[in-house]
Amino acid sequence: MHKLLGLLTFFMAVQTVRAQRDTTITLSAIGGLKFNQTRVIIKPNTRLKLVLQNKDDMAHNLVVTRPNSRFRVVEFALALGDKGPAQHHVPVMDEVLAHTVSVEPGNTDSLHVTLPEGSYPFVCTYPGHGSLMYGIIYATNEPKRLPPVAEDMNIPNPNRTAETAHANHRATTSGHPYTMKLPAVYRTFMPDCGPAAIAVGLPGPDGGQSYVFDAGQCRLRYAWSGGFVDNTEQWDGKGQRLTKVVGEIYYRDKGRFPWRIGNGEPQPHFKGYRLVNRYPEFHYVVNGVDFRELIKPLPTKRGLIRAFTLTPSKQDVTFLADAQPGIELKSSVGRFENGVLRLPAGTRQFTLTIETK
Amino acid sequence: MFASLLLSTFLWSASPADTISDYYEIEDIPMPTGLVAETGGITFLPDGRLAACFHRGEVMLYNPKTKTWKLFAEGLHDPLGVLAVSNKELIVMQRPELTRLTDTDGDGVADQYTTVTDQFGMSGNYHEFAFGPVRDAKGNLYISLNTASNGASIRNEVRGQYDELGRKGRMYACVPYRGWVLQITPDGKMKPYASGFRSPNGMGFDAQGRLYVSDNQGDWLGTSKLYHVEEGKFYGHPTSLVWRSGFPDIDPLTLPVRTLDSMRTVESFAFPHEFMAHSPTQPILDNTGGRFGPFAGQLFVGEMDFPHLLRILPDEVGGQMQGACVPFLEKAGSNGVPLRIGNNRLAFAPDGSLYLGKADHGWLGDRGIQRIKYKPGKVPLDILAMKLTPTGFALTFTEALDEKTAQDLANYRFRSYYYEYHQAYGSKQIDVQTVNVTSATLSADRKTVSLKVAELKPSRIYELNLGDLRSGNGQKKILSRSVCYTLNRLNI
Repeated sequence: MHKLLGLLTFFMAVQTVRAQRDTTITLSAIGGLKFNQTRVIIKPNTRLKLVLQNKDDMAHNLVVTRPNSRFRVVEFALALGDKGPAQHHVPVMDEVLAHTVSVEPGNTDSLHVTLPEGSYPFVCTYPGHGSLMYGIIYATNEPKRLPPVAEDMNIPNPNRTAETAHANHRATTSGHPYTMKLPAVYRTFMPDCGPAAIAVGLPGPDGGQSYVFDAGQCRLRYAWSGGFVDNTEQWDGKGQRLTKVVGEIYYRDKGRFPWRIGNGEPQPHFKGYRLVNRYPEFHYVVNGVDFRELIKPLPTKRGLIRAFTLTPSKQDVTFLADAQPGIELKSSVGRFENGVLRLPAGTRQFTLTIETK
Repeated sequence: MFASLLLSTFLWSASPADTISDYYEIEDIPMPTGLVAETGGITFLPDGRLAACFHRGEVMLYNPKTKTWKLFAEGLHDPLGVLAVSNKELIVMQRPELTRLTDTDGDGVADQYTTVTDQFGMSGNYHEFAFGPVRDAKGNLYISLNTASNGASIRNEVRGQYDELGRKGRMYACVPYRGWVLQITPDGKMKPYASGFRSPNGMGFDAQGRLYVSDNQGDWLGTSKLYHVEEGKFYGHPTSLVWRSGFPDIDPLTLPVRTLDSMRTVESFAFPHEFMAHSPTQPILDNTGGRFGPFAGQLFVGEMDFPHLLRILPDEVGGQMQGACVPFLEKAGSNGVPLRIGNNRLAFAPDGSLYLGKADHGWLGDRGIQRIKYKPGKVPLDILAMKLTPTGFALTFTEALDEKTAQDLANYRFRSYYYEYHQAYGSKQIDVQTVNVTSATLSADRKTVSLKVAELKPSRIYELNLGDLRSGNGQKKILSRSVCYTLNRLNI
């Protein structure tokens, strides 16, 4: 009798709740075989509309399964073989509660499902996707009792990449099979630079100094102190996200391309670099003049010494530099006049020092 | 009588299961601790060491004798290809440029990073991968450039000229030569060579020196494929046309599909989606002279999503390269090491074994390097050639077939279909038809079966499913059962 009463109460509660709750949640399929959300928490018996928005560059679907049925559904989906595409890679089985169709990149589809209290996996059942691309819907009145995200076995391990990096102690800091040693060069996507960027970390106290050389434009772009770079996001997945600067940027060259050979429009071409005790010496050609540039840190304070070697030119060679607050530019030859340094005829080598005041 | 029955039963039960593992061994190459082994390229140096480049910019050398790794270069931007010039010099394709790495002082580490060419644009979109290089007999290098994906944006600053007419579509080419194969002559000049590619993650030459480039199913590609690439041709993905010399100032997507279709050169080999390939990678010529098994002179192609490679059975019909593909190394494995997926790069070692560099890169795949070794002297029963005849196909096998199985028509089941050339992503199999086999004639040496089929139509794929063909009085089973012939041109 008690049991029956309990059931009845439960049933009525369900009915009441059902009448009250409708909710729409949008999940995005994103790059790297991931959903943008891996935990969805709703009240039991909510009429849930789950929208799949495909922001990835391949097709996906979204399948909600019965509790503890994700593996089985994924296995059956895989077993569909060449019958898969015709049924959107969704196997016909009781464990599938609801599903979308195949959603091409840029498109959207949705499913409707009403879930009593419990934990319901959602997953993309495209062949091979199911082992990475999944999450969980918790239909619960007590969200506080859910496991913390970091310990939740129902969602993909967010620290997968981090774990790989931590598998070996030496790799923890560098992300490579060797210890990071400065000077060091990374060609990578850097902020505030063209896409062909070269980040260089230099040794020194307090994390050393670093700079970015733009290989597309053949010029120094900016410099910072207090560290080098963080590649965690750039290395993850397909490489869209930028490498991060670690430290404080103290200098930016915001002007035009600095070199002028005679009156012609400068046409720089990048030729590569050689490593001199691990310091890169860049080689580029501007209107027939070969430039080699090696940048070292100032030993005593924030600043860089740019050592240039160039081939002879019959035309005037000038370097343009707009004045910057807090920065002093010094040349070993000639003098800056109104932001223009005219190299004395026949100059083959000189240094330009960027010094913080 | 009883004794002979007993004997034959005994023989039958003692005969091997005859699987791919009887012919090929697989081993995992030990990788350096701390390396995230997303393999972008592999190649062998003249001295027998393996050079490999990895996603995080490392280039490392592996000595197969000592099983040790050594760092050669670092700091490259997502290198996806490497070619050995000498024991001290490699050419590596990284995102921004083709770079020559040279160890000039002989300390075993590269100190010179010379730009071979950076004469192409970068929008900063992640999908602008750069592949290659491969080198032809004349010393020309070839690289291929991925288009960008509208799954992500471009940077505020781009390298090279920006053209918004190339910015439309799912995969786009808003900076020069995206979707192109480029040629770099021995004197360093870059020449735009061929256009119309989407995601050309793999280049290689066949035994005759013909250049092949793979491309990936997606917009304008109903299925993945392998092109025979020749200078000046357009291979069908439209966005790259904006960078074709003399192309009018229009968005190529505004051209009617029929026009684009008439402009394009079709693939030599289609790789049907869902069972042959999802993401084909590098083609490689078996130049081992038989040390890798009975397929010398054929091409193998890597695949990202399936635990198999593809093997190409070429057929030249009236000057048109076409032919078939079959899965290779399907279900291969030995000593508990299965062939893994993610086979991004392939290289034959001097000893005739095949190295497979794995990558995943945010997609399906795997990491590390595997080595495939042929067990000498053992010949598997497999299909060696498939040639189009005026009335059907001639199939040649590695071994003389058992007559009874070879002449059973039920052992040859054909379907034919095609994939739509259209802007949408991928394609269903269109107009699927069963093609009846009307006769199967076995050659005198029992190695070739000539099939007559009810009907042959061009611009279709003929998918052949082989039944239980046997050789050696039932001892050997046919390995490749699924064979897909791309019929571009009839043999009449």
